[in-house]
Amino acid sequence: MPMSSTLAYDDRVGDATLTPSRRVAAGSALLAVACVLGLVEAALPGLPFAPWLRFGFANIAVVIALAIFGGRIAAVVSIGRVAIVGLATGSLLGPTSVLAAAGAAASLAVMWLLARHVPGASPVSWSAAGSAAHVVAQFGVASALLGTGSLLVLAPPSVLVALLLGAFVGYLALVAASRLRNG
Amino acid sequence: MTRADRLIIAVIAALALVAWPLMSATAGSESASVVISGPNGQTVVPLSSDAEYRIAGAVSDLVVRVEGGSVRVVESDCPDRTCVRTGAISAPGDVVACVPNRVVVRIGGEHADEFDARIR
Repeated sequence: MPMSSTLAYDDRVGDATLTPSRRVAAGSALLAVACVLGLVEAALPGLPFAPWLRFGFANIAVVIALAIFGGRIAAVVSIGRVAIVGLATGSLLGPTSVLAAAGAAASLAVMWLLARHVPGASPVSWSAAGSAAHVVAQFGVASALLGTGSLLVLAPPSVLVALLLGAFVGYLALVAASRLRNG
Repeated sequence: MTRADRLIIAVIAALALVAWPLMSATAGSESASVVISGPNGQTVVPLSSDAEYRIAGAVSDLVVRVEGGSVRVVESDCPDRTCVRTGAISAPGDVVACVPNRVVVRIGGEHADEFDARIR
């Protein structure tokens, strides 16, 4: 299904025409958005059938940053978000934030690789694949921390759900990024 | 969604579907167990088979019953009987303790404790 014109997406990552100060300002604004989305989501209950899975709305800001400004600002938004939300919810440096950081790093790496090296991929698949990577990294770290592989049974179904949630989040980011670019 | 998007999502979904039975096969061997530790040492019994165990505690004997995937202390002659009133436990990491008897009933093995926290 071809994309409608309002959602037309420029495959190039990063935008060299922005001045450094605009990049900093826009990056900071996206970091703030990521933190607010992350905090709101932290306060919401998890999905009823899988409390360890979350929508990952904060990733909207990371995907927008990656789509418009490229990998470096996306990394600042992603890592900054984990640190600030961790600080605000009191979980910084605890096991939860180790999981969050591992997930964020894996997700960012996968999204950046797709954005950089797979020309046809749009934010929808960046986010879906990033979300799957997030889940895989979290299950890996959790299993290492607990010293047992029994958790891994939950990983494949979680990856499938994460793909759907991630694709949805990526679609939201795609819509937002195209409006931001045109506005 | 572009064609590449659909391809990427389909490939990851396929990998997850292939990994699913493999993961279940490896993890299935570690079924939950009940660890009963008392003053006379530690016993590990399966959570899956219903049975009743008499455990010698420091002040009295306790009766621990495994039934339908959960465990409870059904009988103990300790002062407060907190262990009996704790009721049944079934999740890995759950504990029933009888402090006067120095008996702890726990689900899971050495490394089977679940997280208290949620993954974000």
